[in-house]
Amino acid sequence: MVNLKKSLFRLTDVLELCIAYTFCFSLNLTFDYVKTVDLESYILKSFFENFLDYQLQIVILSTFIVIVFHYQMLYRKKTEVFCKILVGDTGLNITARYSLDCLTILVFVYLLSTLVSVYLNLSLTGNLFLPLIFAVYILISARQVRKYEDI
Amino acid sequence: MKIFKFFVSKIFLRKVIPSISVILLICMSNYITYIAARTVISTFQGYQETRGLNQEGNFIANLDPNSVADFGAIEAKGTQKVYDYLNSHFDYAFYVDGFMVSIPNSYDMEISLCYMNESYYAANQFELLQGTDLMFDFPLGEDKEIPVLIGKGLSETYPVGSLINIDDPALNQAITLKVQGVLKGNEYHSNFYALNSKSYYIFSIFVPVNEEFINHANLGLQVNGLMDIVVLQTTEEKILDLSEVIQDTLGLKFNFFSQQDNYEYFNEYYFHSLKIVAVVSLILLLMITCLSVWNALVSIRLMLKDLTINLLVGLSYSKLRKIFYSYFGIVFLINLVIVFSFTAMNRYGCWLRKDATFSTYGLFGLIGMDWLALLFVVVSDIVIGIIVVEIMLRKIKKVPISLGVLQ
Repeated sequence: MVNLKKSLFRLTDVLELCIAYTFCFSLNLTFDYVKTVDLESYILKSFFENFLDYQLQIVILSTFIVIVFHYQMLYRKKTEVFCKILVGDTGLNITARYSLDCLTILVFVYLLSTLVSVYLNLSLTGNLFLPLIFAVYILISARQVRKYEDI
Repeated sequence: MKIFKFFVSKIFLRKVIPSISVILLICMSNYITYIAARTVISTFQGYQETRGLNQEGNFIANLDPNSVADFGAIEAKGTQKVYDYLNSHFDYAFYVDGFMVSIPNSYDMEISLCYMNESYYAANQFELLQGTDLMFDFPLGEDKEIPVLIGKGLSETYPVGSLINIDDPALNQAITLKVQGVLKGNEYHSNFYALNSKSYYIFSIFVPVNEEFINHANLGLQVNGLMDIVVLQTTEEKILDLSEVIQDTLGLKFNFFSQQDNYEYFNEYYFHSLKIVAVVSLILLLMITCLSVWNALVSIRLMLKDLTINLLVGLSYSKLRKIFYSYFGIVFLINLVIVFSFTAMNRYGCWLRKDATFSTYGLFGLIGMDWLALLFVVVSDIVIGIIVVEIMLRKIKKVPISLGVLQ
């Protein structure tokens, strides 16, 4: 899926990012799913309403863990970026590879979430805003890679 | 204190993103714990409330949800016949609320009239702030006064002894109410079939009803009164007869549930729902705890150099543990303040929206069950805090100091 040979990503990083994306997508899917369930119990209905009323805010707040991932990963890879440039790699290539790797993982998790949405008969547009938010995070963090060119 | 300030300002807060993330994660876990705890407490309170009426020999009425009810076909003659039958054969607890009237009051709230008979009043044992208990032996008439109890929110405008003139929506005539007493603080009523939902009596008037009152009331009060009527100290045979009388006279199929039926219903419906609430909350809390641990480990990765340098120059692990606990203590406090403010705003919102049914009095706007739920949040915070800090320290101890400095 992701070519790890030249990438900044290691297997644990790929797993961590996958888990972070999966958490956000599954949280949103769970909300959408609970909305479709015909809950007979008033207790359950009022309990879930406390969360469903703030679905968008909760899901957006949960995407913060993806920001944490990007931030800490690039912070740890400072020296690696610098070393790669020392041995002939370019900042642009590293940035492009990093962005592509992130996007590949994002597309993979998004497709998985779409499959689950289809399986559960949920609206496919419900999850669309998340890839957009994550794409923005990727673009912002990609700019960060260039900053480590000359540490 | 100096070293703690140094750690917070120079190490923790320099890594803004993991610090914000930890606050957000703890905020989510606090919100989940708070909502789950409040649901359980509220349901338990409702359950306690119903115990007054759910006694052996009592039967609680419920309109059969599978039957077709034609309310348009119901006539006053029919309901009167049912009440005559009830009065001659049974003792019953009668309660109807939801009839609204507009009377001047300090908060411009719509006032809910709660009609109840003596048996209902005796079973619930409402606490009074001022005045005396309701009397049910009163005459009806234009020049007569009906003794009533009022909620605390009305006590400023209508102190004990004052008179209130209203057009009674149940009698369809002007009546005079005389304030006999004021209910204590946040007295409430839970729905039999949604024990966690409560209507507060702060802006309510308790109107006593007796046989004469019901006989003079309109169809609305009479039919509504039958919906949740509780027939007291009777037998299954007699209740079957009553059910038949209602069906023959009004065409409504009523089920009457005994104490055993109700307990079984509670066990099946409420405890099952509460189990789901508990399981869902636990799963969410576990997920958030895992994420917090991950976030803490990420923070350690980023702060390892600073931490190990401090350990190298003489900071002990026990001192570091204290610093971590103090830092997380502050984070938990910030989140508790967030949850507290959110609840206080919600409670205050009811006053702003003029929502008389949900307006409550409380210390800083929060009522008893809110404070109890906050206590649960504190306990869950302590557990999460211990898990996160101990894992962080174990991680730090695993890394040799020299290697940490080099990183």
